[in-house]
Amino acid sequence: MRPLSWCGGVVLAAAMLSFPFIVNGYWLSVGVLAMFYAIVTASWALLAGYAGQFSFGHMAFVSLGAYTSGLLVKWFGIPVPLGIAAGVAMCAVVGSGVGFVGLRMRGPYLALFTVAFSEVLRIIFVSEVEITGGSGGLEVAPLFHTRSDMPAYYTGVVLLAASLAIMLALVASRWGLFFRAIRENEDAAAAAGVKVLRFRVLAFAIASAFAGLGGGFFGHYIGILTPDIGSVDQMGLVVAMAVIGGAESILAATLGALGLEFLVEALRSYGQWRLVLFGALLLLTMRFARNGLLALAWQQMQRLDRLRRMTRLAAGAGE
Amino acid sequence: MASRPGMRDDARGLMADYLLIQALNGLTVGIIYAVIAAGLTVIFSILKIVNFAHGEFYMMGGYFSYFAIALFGIPPLLAVVAAMLVSFALSIVAERTLLTPLYSPTTERKGDYGILVTFGISIFLRNIALIIYGPYPLRPPSFFSGALIAGPLIMTWDRVFAGGAGILLLIALVWFMQRTPWGEALNAVSQSRESAAIVGIDDQRFYMLAFGLGGALAGGAGALVGPIYSLSPSMGLIPDTQAFAIVILGGMGSVSGSILAGLLIGVSESMFVALFPDPSRSLTYAQAFSLVILMIVLLVRPTGLFGRVHTSMD
Repeated sequence: MRPLSWCGGVVLAAAMLSFPFIVNGYWLSVGVLAMFYAIVTASWALLAGYAGQFSFGHMAFVSLGAYTSGLLVKWFGIPVPLGIAAGVAMCAVVGSGVGFVGLRMRGPYLALFTVAFSEVLRIIFVSEVEITGGSGGLEVAPLFHTRSDMPAYYTGVVLLAASLAIMLALVASRWGLFFRAIRENEDAAAAAGVKVLRFRVLAFAIASAFAGLGGGFFGHYIGILTPDIGSVDQMGLVVAMAVIGGAESILAATLGALGLEFLVEALRSYGQWRLVLFGALLLLTMRFARNGLLALAWQQMQRLDRLRRMTRLAAGAGE
Repeated sequence: MASRPGMRDDARGLMADYLLIQALNGLTVGIIYAVIAAGLTVIFSILKIVNFAHGEFYMMGGYFSYFAIALFGIPPLLAVVAAMLVSFALSIVAERTLLTPLYSPTTERKGDYGILVTFGISIFLRNIALIIYGPYPLRPPSFFSGALIAGPLIMTWDRVFAGGAGILLLIALVWFMQRTPWGEALNAVSQSRESAAIVGIDDQRFYMLAFGLGGALAGGAGALVGPIYSLSPSMGLIPDTQAFAIVILGGMGSVSGSILAGLLIGVSESMFVALFPDPSRSLTYAQAFSLVILMIVLLVRPTGLFGRVHTSMD
């Protein structure tokens, strides 16, 4: 199966790179947003799927990164990339803080804590109108002063590729093994010598930093920030993307995000029904294909392949 | 007061009345919170999951009651009962279709499954409510119009009724859990699934009952709250976290602890709103109040106020 996945990768990369030349401006902007969701979803999969820490506050870090960068650029006139970097650093620091205080909480407690954290942050962004502009939104310096979304799109592709490369390298390393060991059984991992506390905080900080990166990119691309980006509904969309693709694999979650974001736009005429559909799809996936639809499709393909080989073998024996 | 009261005393008296009214309002709201939290507690103690969709069952209950009144002309009081029944049925459907893997020994990491599935249910219900009911707030008719006026104190009859009905629901729940064979069976399952099975309790039936009961309590609370606040698809978000805060503050799995914690949070929340210095922000920050309480409780005293032995989640 190895060559097949290589082929798939090459085809996907080619499709992503040639995408702006195939589609019109509208779909190109959808492509930019898809990059944003892919970064955020992949990092959530790293935190929840790999490290087993169910945070529902991931979108709070997205908004934290976006507001940090947007405000710094606005106040001090620093270059946008520097602002985004500051947002990433901010998210890493706050993320390790939340990860640290969340150390004594497991499973649903951590999920509750992060939901509360996320809503409090959103309420602060809504209420402190003098600073954030409240629900009316905060105008943010644009990423590029061009009419076309082309530069933003390729920036998104590069950011996503870099994020994925770092996350996949992380997951393949010893650290990734520690993350999974902690997910499966914290006590056993500790007994085996894994520094559970350190790696739980680390997972939280790293994932939050990527969320901040996505947020900064999103904010400067969209140009106007509202606290809604950190809402529970947005979190629901990201969770649906990750779970439908497959939350336990970073690549599957990324593909889920890309696919779902395009589906969101393709079904635009169905309005609110889309979120109902995604909710239902999320529930069905959880119920019947817990590793995600992509893993399910992969399994089916492998089974078909095996079946084909066996029938060929049987046919050969019959002759 | 012998001497003629000056302006300052007047103002102080008004403030005291205002605070007292706020405290009473907080008390009735606290009772409703306690009903929601009691439902969450029942689900938690039997199914061992935190139901992230609980606030959405509360929201659905409010709408069920509204439509029972608006479409079928059922009197408001009966509509509460109808809303509870429909919520019960809806919860059981959700439990049978989605939660059965929680009881299967082949399911890996059941806690994670419970979190994600109930979170998914909440997304699903909230968005389907947005479609069916629309984003605009609806206000069901009053149970009783007018207000109770006693001296300086004013309280709408709806609040009085909601508080009273909430207390009745809580009493009924405690009676059910402690005095009926079904309640005892629920208690047995909550203590040990295996032992309950050994004495011949069909645990599947009681998972259904527990989730249905929890949903019915949430739905009933939603129906009671309808005429006080308006109904909207997103109304479940805040009460949900309030209920979590209450459940944890009251000690996981303890119904009486939940009741006390519910009253405490209801009253302190309305005091917070009344005393917050900046009125333009007090309403938005009032929403954050219970969230911050929840965070503090999780950080400082996850075993609850009353120091009960913690029931472990996993």
